[in-house]
Amino acid sequence: DYMVLKDAVIFAIDISKSMLKPPPPSNSKKADTDSPAAAALKCAYQIMQQRIISNPKDMMGVLLFNTEKEKFLDEEVASRGSLGYPHCYLLNDLEIPSAEDVKKLKSIVEGDEEMADILVPSEEPVAMNNLLFCANQIFTTKAPNFGSRRLFIITDEDNPALKKEAKESATVRAKDLYDLGVIIELFPISHPGSNFDRTKFYDDIIYRDPNESDEALVAPVVLNSSGSDGISLLASLISDINSKQVPKRTLFSNMPFEIGPKFSISVKGYNILQRQQKAKSCYVWLGGEKAQIAEGETTKFTDQEVQGNETPREGGNKISEADLKASVKKAYKFGGELVSFDVSEQKGLKDFGAPILRLIGFKPQSMLPFWASVKKSTFIYPSEEDFIGSTRVFSALWQKLQKDELMGLGWCITRKNSGPSLVAILPSAERLDEVTKGQVFPAGLWLYPLPYADDIRSPPEQPNPVRAPDNLIDSMRKVVQQLQLPKAIYDPSRYPNPALQWHYKILQAMALDEVLPEVPEDMTVPKYRQIHKRAGQLIYEWGVILHDEATAYNEARRRGLKHEVDDDQEKPKKKPRATASAASLADMSTTDLKKLAVDGRLEKYTMPQLKELCSAKGLSTSGKKADLVLRVEQWVEESY
Amino acid sequence: MAAKEATVYIVDLGASTADCHSGRIESDLDFGMRYVWEKIAITLSNNRASDRVGVIGFRTDQTAHQLDAEEYPNISIIKPCESIKMSHLKELHRDIKPSETNDGDAVSAIVVAIDHIQQATALKDGKPGKYKRTIVLLTDGQGHMDPDGLDESGGIDFDDKEYGFKEEDKSEIKVFAEAIEYLSMPQVKPTRPYSCFQGKLSLGNWKEYEETALYIDVNRYFKTKQKKPESASTVVSRPTKGAMSGQSSSHTIGGDLEMDDAPAFNGDMAAVKNDRVYTVKAAEDDSTAENGKLTVDRDELAKGYAYGSSAVAISEAEQNIVKLETFAEFTIIGFIPWDKYERYLNMGESCITVADSTNDKARLALSSLIHSLHELESYAVARLCRPVRKGSEEGKDPEIILLAPIIDNEIEALVDVPLPFAEDVRLYKFPPLDRVITTSGAVVKTHRNLPNDDLVEAMSDYVDSMDLSKFGKNEYGKPTEYMPIEDTYSPVLHRINQAVRRRATHPEETNVGDPADVLIKYSHPPQDLVEKAASALDALKQAADVKQVPPKVKGKGKREAIKPLSDLKIDLLLNSRRREKISPDNSIAEFRQMLDHADGTDNAGLLRDAAKQMGDIIVELIQRHAVGTSAGTTEEQAVENMTVMRDAMIEYEEPELYNKFIRPLKRDLLSGKMGENRTRLWFKVKSAKLGLIDDGTSEKSPVSAEQAAEFLGSKAAELPTRSK
Repeated sequence: DYMVLKDAVIFAIDISKSMLKPPPPSNSKKADTDSPAAAALKCAYQIMQQRIISNPKDMMGVLLFNTEKEKFLDEEVASRGSLGYPHCYLLNDLEIPSAEDVKKLKSIVEGDEEMADILVPSEEPVAMNNLLFCANQIFTTKAPNFGSRRLFIITDEDNPALKKEAKESATVRAKDLYDLGVIIELFPISHPGSNFDRTKFYDDIIYRDPNESDEALVAPVVLNSSGSDGISLLASLISDINSKQVPKRTLFSNMPFEIGPKFSISVKGYNILQRQQKAKSCYVWLGGEKAQIAEGETTKFTDQEVQGNETPREGGNKISEADLKASVKKAYKFGGELVSFDVSEQKGLKDFGAPILRLIGFKPQSMLPFWASVKKSTFIYPSEEDFIGSTRVFSALWQKLQKDELMGLGWCITRKNSGPSLVAILPSAERLDEVTKGQVFPAGLWLYPLPYADDIRSPPEQPNPVRAPDNLIDSMRKVVQQLQLPKAIYDPSRYPNPALQWHYKILQAMALDEVLPEVPEDMTVPKYRQIHKRAGQLIYEWGVILHDEATAYNEARRRGLKHEVDDDQEKPKKKPRATASAASLADMSTTDLKKLAVDGRLEKYTMPQLKELCSAKGLSTSGKKADLVLRVEQWVEESY
Repeated sequence: MAAKEATVYIVDLGASTADCHSGRIESDLDFGMRYVWEKIAITLSNNRASDRVGVIGFRTDQTAHQLDAEEYPNISIIKPCESIKMSHLKELHRDIKPSETNDGDAVSAIVVAIDHIQQATALKDGKPGKYKRTIVLLTDGQGHMDPDGLDESGGIDFDDKEYGFKEEDKSEIKVFAEAIEYLSMPQVKPTRPYSCFQGKLSLGNWKEYEETALYIDVNRYFKTKQKKPESASTVVSRPTKGAMSGQSSSHTIGGDLEMDDAPAFNGDMAAVKNDRVYTVKAAEDDSTAENGKLTVDRDELAKGYAYGSSAVAISEAEQNIVKLETFAEFTIIGFIPWDKYERYLNMGESCITVADSTNDKARLALSSLIHSLHELESYAVARLCRPVRKGSEEGKDPEIILLAPIIDNEIEALVDVPLPFAEDVRLYKFPPLDRVITTSGAVVKTHRNLPNDDLVEAMSDYVDSMDLSKFGKNEYGKPTEYMPIEDTYSPVLHRINQAVRRRATHPEETNVGDPADVLIKYSHPPQDLVEKAASALDALKQAADVKQVPPKVKGKGKREAIKPLSDLKIDLLLNSRRREKISPDNSIAEFRQMLDHADGTDNAGLLRDAAKQMGDIIVELIQRHAVGTSAGTTEEQAVENMTVMRDAMIEYEEPELYNKFIRPLKRDLLSGKMGENRTRLWFKVKSAKLGLIDDGTSEKSPVSAEQAAEFLGSKAAELPTRSK
């Protein structure tokens, strides 16, 4: 597709008097001190740095409005004559941000004197139709063929066009933007005592994203100028904009999800998880005024003769593409030589049919071993485009899997010629941020790629395990209990990738000719002081026990060797407790299980052990411990 | 790694093996040889110099072997038991043919083979080498078999326990068929355990807090590693040999020469190499520039990185400046309960950590951690910096991993999976699935997008009826898990391997055949289960009431008028304001708005007018092209306008309006009429696939798919070559 998956965003920030007014002073430590405009600019500054890392090919621009000053794309101003855009100030052109762009925002955010005269509000407000057409022209000339073009408007004025005529002109210009494929996202800011009313103006200029199904809405957010619930306006702006700043890109669209023979719905796939990598190093040309990245173009040729070009290039004995195609083959190394296939033949080897997700059946989630992980999962969500009713069927399936802790098993081909994969289909519950109430993970299903037999590796053979004695385990248990992560969850947002952040921080400093930072911020380093404070004493006690037990163990072993114990298996000093040996509950013979059941000793086992047993025997793993024990007892009885 | 292998194949070449049986059109020999070829191919593909393969024929016309020819007649060593190369295959294909005789016997051949394999695998001092020895006998069982002889050969004493003996000595088809079936069973290649961390697993900072922090000596190994098919290299069939001779002078082009990874070549294939040329934007007054670009030499370039659109050069000596300095370490951040973790957060392959097996204290220590995690049903979250090199103190970039305890009779260990960082999670918001939020913000529980009770129940029944957890059968016929991981094989990997082996041993075949059944076994639910669940599925279909959307209703003015959130009648407003003329500044929006009017009587006229205006604007955009930076974007704008116009003409079923525009445009671009160097724009048009609309895309088009392809294909060779 030529409509490349590139994104262009313009931040349109209102610089009116009310936007520049800082919140009233407050005694609270957490109180906001930023004016809404300052928060918006800081937000743009932060998001720009973030996008350089996460979306290095995407464009971003910053357009201020209601400013006394006026500025548009430099080169165009002359050609446009006097027809300008009053009270619109294009602070950053819509471009892939450069170090200078970052610097410009930084100096404005830091209140640089030179920039101060930009942030002077106009006496009369901007004409909204003018602002919208200004954005239109920026998108048209700067971001042609971009698959995604968005205008983010940050304002506290809910009725910027009072006169009918002005409002109509604005709605027409808004429709132009819609027809140009530009989506307007509004970030409204309410002041204490007056709520931002979208119906006054903005509902007339905002259209739904045509890619979203029409009634699928996430509740709209209204931001508060003086912050709310202890979160600053800046924090909530960043959180809200962040949830929208990356355009939702589908990995695959309208894929048939075959629930059963001749019964399909359609789903879309999304890459919610994606390892963010550092950009690769490149070549830089220093021969010009400014350092430039040299673009590399690859030409293919054989060792004897240039056979064809991917891009038109001078010279060379080009052979027609058709001839080149016919002579190119795909070859595999085999027994020291090459075995070749025609290109189409080789493609055919990966062809297992058209894209599809086909259900094979269901298993309890407990049958998915922890280690069975090879690749990140893909999120899927229903789409009504091909099959009306997809959403309700998907929802019913999701509810069932969620309720009974089941997983689907699927055969999945996401693209033509991409080869099939076997996936577990796992349900996810919606997870909201505890503070902002924003969605962190959506409700839906995940395609979890399963390993094949070919993918399983084993560690080298280990001597039989030395089982720790109870007192040592008990001691360690206290340590573990003391050191739970906050809220007892792994929250990815608390752990930015330190290497990635450092890489770009250094590059940014170098690009701006600034002093290099010295100490990296690394949130992944454990909080050593806290560990020491909370569990230090317990770790010390554990160390003492370990020392004694290890000495005793070695002693016993030496004696054992002297007496030449015939089996060379090391036996732990103490008798292993039930739980310890019971990991093999699932491997026990039915006779042994029956004994346990009769003696009522099944209760001594832990939930996971029982669950493991149940899933091994194909029993349901849901319910309380007593349910599981009962189920196992019944099973033992029946299996005679 | 598996032991060295030596295999001798004893092949029955008696005249009777030329017959065909069981309705096959293949001779028994060819049929049976499939197994042998496949086995030889597997050996070849393993590519291990120490592996040996020999082939001995019996019931051959000649006698040629190391033992007494009188005693063991009609037996020939076709290929001595040595290493095998592709070139041997041709000879084997030539020599393995049914003979003219039926004299000779299998047991004698076994005697010859045993003696031969012993000699072939003996060390220099005569002692047996460390080999896994296998003899495979392939016979139609029609020849003479001397049972006494068999005793004799069986009586030979081997001190090598691994000695394997394999017979397929009956003429029953079943035996052959089993062997053939065995072939399609994918072989999982064993791999050497790979250690990816060796050092201390710590809790707390033991360097700073000696007494209140701990560490345990551990080893960490791969637990899963995705096995990918070998990648194919691109080669070109060499033109006739004669033409090539004398042209061996090396090719020199400024820039890099990168070899595609290609090993030795057959005489008729040549590697495709890559030549990289680097260009930068030229200064506006640079007369040596071409298309605003300047070609630069690799040697003039510094290494560096992009920061947004800025380039940051970093000198050779400073390359490490952007790397976060870390020490190789493995340290626990904290713990979380099992039920607070979602499996879909797993970012990739798993590893397994065990205590240093030589350190009893470490084994006790790790065991206590493993058991306490198990009892508390908790995972550990840890930060891991692997060493940059084995044993190095310097660490790679940090990873965060989630560790789970595993305990069984053989092993106590921690298994881990990688976790995402903040940057790895994209915040895409999706509406909830159990309620609907309306435009006004109200929450609705009954809605056409939500299942009603019937559907919920029908789905529940269907899911229960498709349970796989007990659907499989173990070897005793007891119900067990269906489709366990150990029974699933990578379809693409094995399909490619099988095809490569087949092609290598049978280069004359042109068809690569279908994938083996075992590879697509799990592409559908098991038939028995489907039948069992049929009624539940019917009930589900009924309750779901899913309707397929008919193919898009094409056409004129059938589009619903689009409204903003407020339901404002924007189309009426537009009608009263817009004129007939599309303004070049706002062309895409106004073109689309003009077409939205196409619902009345004179669509043809309106569409013609719109297309004409749009065409003129595109031409104007192309001609507005000026040297300098804006050149690129006006061209891009032209391409976007063309895309919009083409899509609209398809939608409104007026393909010729576009075709009439693009034909002269191509001519003018290529002839230079639209200015110098416009071929580049044509390439953009080509890569955007903006050629003629063919009859496959729009029924009303008189242009065939071939004509459209030819129009767009416009071979590079046809283009006027620019002179240097």
